[in-house]
Amino acid sequence: MTLDWSIVWLNKEALAEGALMTIVLTVLTMGLAVPLGIVLAFMRLSKWRSLALLSQCFVELFRNIPLILIVYWSFYVIPILIPVQFSAFTTGLVALVLCVSAYNAETFRAGINSVRHGQTNAGLALGMSQFQVMKEIILPQAARRVLPILATTWVSLFKDTSLVSVIAVGELSHVALQIRSQSFRVLEMLTAMAVIYWMMGYPQAKLSDWVRKKFEVKE
Amino acid sequence: MPDFDISPILESWQFLATGIGVTILLSILSMAASVLLGTVLGIARVYGSRPLQLVITFYVDTMRSIPVLVVIVWIYFAVPILTGINFPPFWSALIAITIHITASVVEIVRAGVESIREGQCRAGLALGMSWPQVILNIVLPQAAIRMLPAIGSVLSVTIKDTAIASVIAVPEFMKRAETVASQSYQPMEVFTFAIFVYFLLLFPTTRTVDFIYRRIAHLGRS
Repeated sequence: MTLDWSIVWLNKEALAEGALMTIVLTVLTMGLAVPLGIVLAFMRLSKWRSLALLSQCFVELFRNIPLILIVYWSFYVIPILIPVQFSAFTTGLVALVLCVSAYNAETFRAGINSVRHGQTNAGLALGMSQFQVMKEIILPQAARRVLPILATTWVSLFKDTSLVSVIAVGELSHVALQIRSQSFRVLEMLTAMAVIYWMMGYPQAKLSDWVRKKFEVKE
Repeated sequence: MPDFDISPILESWQFLATGIGVTILLSILSMAASVLLGTVLGIARVYGSRPLQLVITFYVDTMRSIPVLVVIVWIYFAVPILTGINFPPFWSALIAITIHITASVVEIVRAGVESIREGQCRAGLALGMSWPQVILNIVLPQAAIRMLPAIGSVLSVTIKDTAIASVIAVPEFMKRAETVASQSYQPMEVFTFAIFVYFLLLFPTTRTVDFIYRRIAHLGRS
């Protein structure tokens, strides 16, 4: 067995671009999935049953199917349903946003529900409006509880971006797997891919631990 | 809105059904292996020596930072080059998913074990029980019940992860659905059907775990 690690260095630019694409996908997905998750969470908590049901169906559906299937479905089925041709990147982004906003919706809902109901009653008894209670009492407390879970979701999302490689979005794993199949330096490229993910993911995992510790709520 | 033609699904129903079987088998085997390994490592993580704890923490954090796709592909393509042994895709996927999921189980077991008050261990030791007895008879039974909801979500993650095994051509449901979709040129019908199947597999599973937990949660209180 002869190993030739220079293949990794020779392709450093392509790999760096792939890594950058992974980061861009993670940031964009989270940037879109947080507001969407908030909307879904408020829909779920609203007085109108149909809105709540709609949100619940969306959340339960996307939490209960594998992301890779959402990716395939978006890639093959969206162009049939609507006559717009998206790029692979947009398709991958849509799939990731669908999945992550479902998770975020549950996170926000749990965060809002975790503030005891007595506090709402107390606020209302003091003459605050529903809106004021939400803004002044519930959301500030919910935010503390939501943040650590969002951090965990962020780390999962960072890893899950690798799945859009199946529709040829040029992020890290797609780039590395491409170089592997062109150069036949299988062991070197796959190990390099794992190490690059590790170097990017490890600090994020540790950071999410720190966020968890820092914002832990004790009652 | 195009027509919805389910004939390709009906024509290859056996092909798809065996795929579902492989998905279930792969899920059960990797979950069982992960729970077993994760419990052992989780206990070692809490009660083991300092170097052992550091090694396990490093392993857990590594698996938290590497995508399962990367682990699956690495085990399938790189391990044969290193060792000269070729595993069939199913076994590679089983090993890779187990390595990945075990890390989550270790963290759950650690949290579960640490949630049992220390006084209970001391009480056990004071009664003349040995450490293994304390862990097996006092700590684990209570921790197991508290761990149940988290284990339920890991089970759901495991089933979803088996779909990723399709990239190394494990003949599970995702791979089979992909094959039928590309051969019949009817991806809309086949992939939408696949969404139904996975939902019907995952939703009742997580709900059942939640239901069982609600029934037995009081046993874990102390």
